Order: sequence, then C-alpha cells, then structure tokens
Amino acid sequence: MSAEHIGRQLESLRAAGQWLRERPLEEILERLEVVLEGWRDPHSPWRDQLQRRLPQATGFAPETVRHGTDLALRDWTGKALREVVAAELGGLHPGDASPRVQPFSTTAVILAGSIPMPTLLAMLTPLLLRSPVLAKPASRDPVTPELVVRSVAQVDPWLGECLALAEVPERDARCTRALLEADCVVATGSDEALAGIHASLPEGHHWVAHGHRLSIAVLGEEATGSQHLQEVAPGLALDTALWDQLGCLSPIAVYVVGGGREACQRTAGALAAALEDAEARWPSGRIPLEVAAQRNHEIEVARMRAASGSEVSLHLGSAQRWALVCENDARPRNAPLHRFLRVHPVEDLTALEDTLQPLAPHLAGVAMAGFGSASADTERRLRALGASHVCAPGQLQTPPLGWRRDGRPLLLTMARFEGSETVSHAGRETAT
Amino acid sequence: MSADPRRAKLEAQILAWMGDAEWRLDDSRFQSLALELFAYQFEHCEPYRKFCEHHGSVPTRVDSWEEIPAVPTGAFKELRLACFPPERTRHVFRTSGTSTQQRGTLHLDSLELYEASLLDNFSRQLLPDLESGQRLRIEVLAPSPQEMPDSSLSHMFDVAIRELGTPDSSFAVRDGHLQLDALRERLAADVRRGEPILVCGTAFAFVHLLDALGSDPLQLPSGSRAMETGGFKGKSRVIPREELHAEVESVLGIPTARIVNQYGMTELGSQFYDSLLSDPTGIPRKLEAPWTRVRVLDPISGKAAAPGEIGSVRIFDLANTGSVCAIQTADLGRRVAGGFEILGREEGAEARGCSVAADLLLSEGAS
Repeated sequence: MSAEHIGRQLESLRAAGQWLRERPLEEILERLEVVLEGWRDPHSPWRDQLQRRLPQATGFAPETVRHGTDLALRDWTGKALREVVAAELGGLHPGDASPRVQPFSTTAVILAGSIPMPTLLAMLTPLLLRSPVLAKPASRDPVTPELVVRSVAQVDPWLGECLALAEVPERDARCTRALLEADCVVATGSDEALAGIHASLPEGHHWVAHGHRLSIAVLGEEATGSQHLQEVAPGLALDTALWDQLGCLSPIAVYVVGGGREACQRTAGALAAALEDAEARWPSGRIPLEVAAQRNHEIEVARMRAASGSEVSLHLGSAQRWALVCENDARPRNAPLHRFLRVHPVEDLTALEDTLQPLAPHLAGVAMAGFGSASADTERRLRALGASHVCAPGQLQTPPLGWRRDGRPLLLTMARFEGSETVSHAGRETAT
Repeated sequence: MSADPRRAKLEAQILAWMGDAEWRLDDSRFQSLALELFAYQFEHCEPYRKFCEHHGSVPTRVDSWEEIPAVPTGAFKELRLACFPPERTRHVFRTSGTSTQQRGTLHLDSLELYEASLLDNFSRQLLPDLESGQRLRIEVLAPSPQEMPDSSLSHMFDVAIRELGTPDSSFAVRDGHLQLDALRERLAADVRRGEPILVCGTAFAFVHLLDALGSDPLQLPSGSRAMETGGFKGKSRVIPREELHAEVESVLGIPTARIVNQYGMTELGSQFYDSLLSDPTGIPRKLEAPWTRVRVLDPISGKAAAPGEIGSVRIFDLANTGSVCAIQTADLGRRVAGGFEILGREEGAEARGCSVAADLLLSEGAS
C-alpha cells in the first residue's frame, strides 16, 4: 500500500463521515450495540473466526484465546456501552445528544500487541464520536481488525463504510505520515514508538497515546493464610495465564504486605500450584526465542542468588512453561513476561508505596485482596499511585467496558468540543 | 597485575598471548588457561563456587572450557563476583541505570589485563591501517571518565585516546550533553586539515549528532572511520543499525564499510568488533580475540546451536581474571564462519505486549 492509497482512504472516509455526522448519536449507538452483542453471542461467526484464527497468528494457545475472549466479552454488553455513552457524552435523545462534541473528520487508530479486546474497543469507540476510523493493524494481530471491520459492515453497510484498515509497511515514513493526516490520532505502543509517531504528527492534530503499562497484585495478611490462598491463588494464576502475561493488565509481580518471609513463601507455593493448574487448562503459547533466552537468564540469576545464600526460591513449571521467583526483597526486577512471576515481601503499605513510586507512572491494574477493614484505604492509596483498575484477583483481565484506561475516559479523550483547542492526551489524569 | 601469585602467573600468560604479533586461535592454549582460571575462580569467588556446586560442575568434573558454568550478567547486579577481598578493589565499573535501579558492578583489583585486552582489540579492529606508533585524532561521543568514573565505556575511550590518539582527541559529552557547537568546530577543522579521524561513541549519541548536523552535513577526510556501540534504551529517536550507518555516511561522509559496531558489556574485560576494517574482503562478522570464545546455545535445550542457528550468547573471556570468565548474556546471536553475529531485538520493533519489564521502565532516562 502506498502513501497515496492511504491518502485516498482518508478522503473516502471523510466523505463517508458526512453520513455519520448526520446520524443521531442514538442511531449509531444502537448499531454498535448490535455489533457488540454480536461479538458476545457465543455462536457469533466473528467470535468463532477470531477464536479459530488468532492462535495461529499470535502464538496464543486456542484455550487461552477462547477463555480470554469469553471472559472479557461477558460484561461488554450493549447496555454497558450505552451507560458509558450516557455517562461521558450526556443525553441520548435527538437534539440533545452531546451537542458540544465536534467530530473529527477522521481518526487514525494505530494498534499494537496481540490482544483482541483493546483492538475491538479502539476501533469502535471513535464511531460513537461520529468520526470515521482508519486503523493500522498491529503486526502481531492481523486478525482482529479485519473481523471488526467485517462485523460492523454486516450490521450496517453505511457504518461499515466509516471503518477501514490501512496497510502501513514497517518503518515506512511516507505511509506513516499519510496516516497521520487524520486529524485525530489514537496510538498504542511502546513509549519509544509513540514518541516517534508524535514527533511526526502535524501541528494541531489531536493526539491520544497509550504507552507501556504494567500491573501487579497486592495481598494483605488476610489473604495469605493457607486457607485464603486457596481462593486467591487460582485467580492470580488466571490473571497471569491469560494472554500469556502480555497485556497491560497482566500482573508481573505479587506483593505480600505484612506476614514476613513465611507469608511470602506460602503465597509463592500456592501460586506455583495454581500456575501449574492454569497451565493444564490454558496452556502457554509460543515462546519467542528472545523470551526463552531472557527467562533462562532470570532463572539462572535466581538460582545463583539462592545458591549463594539469599532467601530466594525458584518454582518452575514442567518444561519451564511458567516460572515463579519468591524474592527476599521488594525491589522491582526484570520481568520477561510469558508467565514469569515474582512474589515480593513488603513490610506495610507505606513501604509498598515507596517501592511502587518509581513505577507509578506506568501502573495500570492492581489485583488486591486480604486487607479487611483497610480495603477501602488500600484501594484509595493504590489509585492515588496511578492504578486505574483495582479489582479482586481473577478480575484483572476483565475490566469494565468503561474502564478509564490510564485514568482517562473512554470516549471524551478522543473528543473535541466546539470552540475548544485540540489537546494531547499522553499523560495521566488523577484517577478517581 | 594481581597481588595473588597464582593469579599473577596466569595473568602473565594471558598478557603474553595478548602481546602476540598476530592473533592465533590456539585451542589447547585456551583450554589450559580457561580450566586453570576456572579452578582459581571457583576457589576464590564464593558465590560462583556455590553456583557451580549447585550445578554439579566443580573443577574436578569439568574437562573442557565449554563446560565451565556461566554466570548470567544479571547476577552482577545482585552479588559481588570478585576473586579478591573488597579492600583490594582498585576500580569499579557499573552498568548504566538510574538511581532507582540496581546496577551491574564489575570489581577490579588491577587494570593491566583489562587495558591490554581493550587496546589490542581496539587497535587491531579500528586502526589496522596505522603504522606502528602512528596516532590519529579520536572524537568520542561519550562523557569522559572524569565525568563518569564508573563507566567502562568512558574508561575504554580514555585508554584508547591515551595510547592511540593524538593530543587533540576529545570527549564531546559534558554535563550529560553533546557539546554540539564545539564538536561541529572540531569536525570542521578536521575537514580543513584533511587528516582522517575516528569518531566513536554510543549509538544514541550518534543519533543526536546526526540530528544536529542533518541540514549541514560534513565530508570527513578519506580514511576516517566510526565505531558505535550500545542501544537506544529510553534515548533519543530509535533507528535500526543499518539506517544509523547509512545516516552516518550521509551526514559525516564516513562510508558504511568503515563504520564498525562494537559488542561489549561492563561485565567483560574484552570487546568484540565487526570485521569490516581488519578483514574488509571477508564475510562481515564479529571477531573473537584469541583469549575469548563465544558459544551460541539453544535457550530451550541449553545445547550448542548449530552454525547459523540463532541462540543465546555465552562468552568466555580470559581477561576476566578477577571475577568470572564465563558469562551468560540474554542476547541472541548466531555462529558464522570465522566469527559470530549479534541479533538483538530490532530497535523500534513493536513491543510484545503493552506490558513491559519493570526493569526497562526504570531504565528510562538512564544515562
């Protein structure tokens, strides 16, 4: 595909956007509710195709894709979408539907990673703001964007005209510049990649960036007793196993608050058993060579520390399909992902806050349990650090549809209002 | 030289090898020195000894250098891996990182072997055309050791300038920034003088220089050369190595055939260079000095990868007498005829997911 072709695609989308801008929000919402419900239908051809084709394209095990999409779509109902629209854009009756929102003529959506749920949402939501979408699929997931386009077109061919895919060859500066001619650009990717895109963005274009994020789990003393761990560990293992730990909501570390070394070891043991169970139900997928090298490296470091007397223990799954290191301190260490988890002891919440402070700008989700009457205060402190999704173990991978990713609203981040200047959304709002 | 007579004797033999007029890959010489060094390090470096015992690889059971247990580079962040007591430490080199990061540390009680190894390699791979005693101007796109005393890279450049550079050689980074105006003036003077120079530094420093000179390119004198090393982690714009070299050619006038990448790390006493200048007609590859060996292992099975197959890189470096001579990296590479290649993750490649290693996040802004 050439830069000229992308230019023509944007031209066509601008023309199609005329139809979109003339529709009442209610009408667009109804169509997208049907699309979403279609994806939720277990017999949906789109979901069926996704679950059949994504494993081959991404390396995820079929069981992981099936369970991951089943869980994530469970609460992504048309009703949930309507509630998000009502909450963010106001009334839905003709004439009073978000009169202040001034649609962008086109929105370029630059996708990354291999997890289908963020792709689905990223491609549909600009349509609610009456902006047509030109999406650049991630190289690791060519399947989901294509199915999203087809599902929308099947529900409403006119709406389908407002959604297209751009083929931008890797590192093709001309094609990238052509794509960035869209007057709103929503991009996901590494911080370095985002900085590169932002540097090429024409002045005055609206910019929404979702960079690198990580998630953790935090367990209080009420969760780390042997009995309670039987309830908590399977949930954390699920959070870790789904999408092979590649999502921003995948925990890379578990912090055991209070209880000392014993609680940490108990937690590690229970988690190891749960990870092995998870492996049997949702096998880990293809492990790239560079990840295998990094994992082996981290495993050998843990072995060496343990051999030299550090209170560090290593748990490994069969054929090293997962790995868990029970640490002797709270210091963040390298996380090769692909089901590599660290369990850290931390004295109390204040020490946890100190530990997490350097990571705070990148914190996305926290699975939390075992704080009893201090739960509300703990959640408040985690949100103050920057966590935008605080939940019980087992729910990290199923954020609500209206999840304020990076602390920002789902729709309003991409909205422009009459009489206002366009803004960049690359930072983080204070989470509420 | 080490104060320990047993180690000093070993070092004398390795130094003698480094002093050979020609590089000669003598396997039996390497085998003998490596096994002796392993036995010494097993005895004197306690964490290493325990690690070897854990693996059941003790000197009496290790028959060849390939079997010597390799320490992962990450262990240098966690443990003091030295064969001498702390009070004998003369120099400490640390990996890059921020104040919140644990940094890998190499403790040295002597710089003699370290400097001999780096100088021999540096001169053979970057200045093979210079007559004995001839010097050339070295422009370093990195801070001086006075500014970064714990940087092994700054130390290497300082030694190279001291032994091989002209008096007007210079460090172009001060207070963490490229001093562009002064650098531009020096390079313009080089162009006027017409004498070749060596420009060397980190890859991201080259990017800064290219960005600054972009609209005002130079044609450095014929015979000039460049050496770049390191990645872009959290720095400047990220460009693939081939593109970087093409831009250096276009902006500085140094042909890509004279731009050498160096593969090195703080934890090692020796470095590895592209063969472009020392073997311009051969297949481009990274060259091993005779006192080093590189193995490429399948990260799943741990067995040697077949020639041409990709695997993780393990280095055996006899210049590492005071720490551990066998180092396991997390880098990928492959053996090719007469050398090896390093295949890091392509800079700027799409991340595997939106999650990312905490270590990487903490490294942002690292110098």
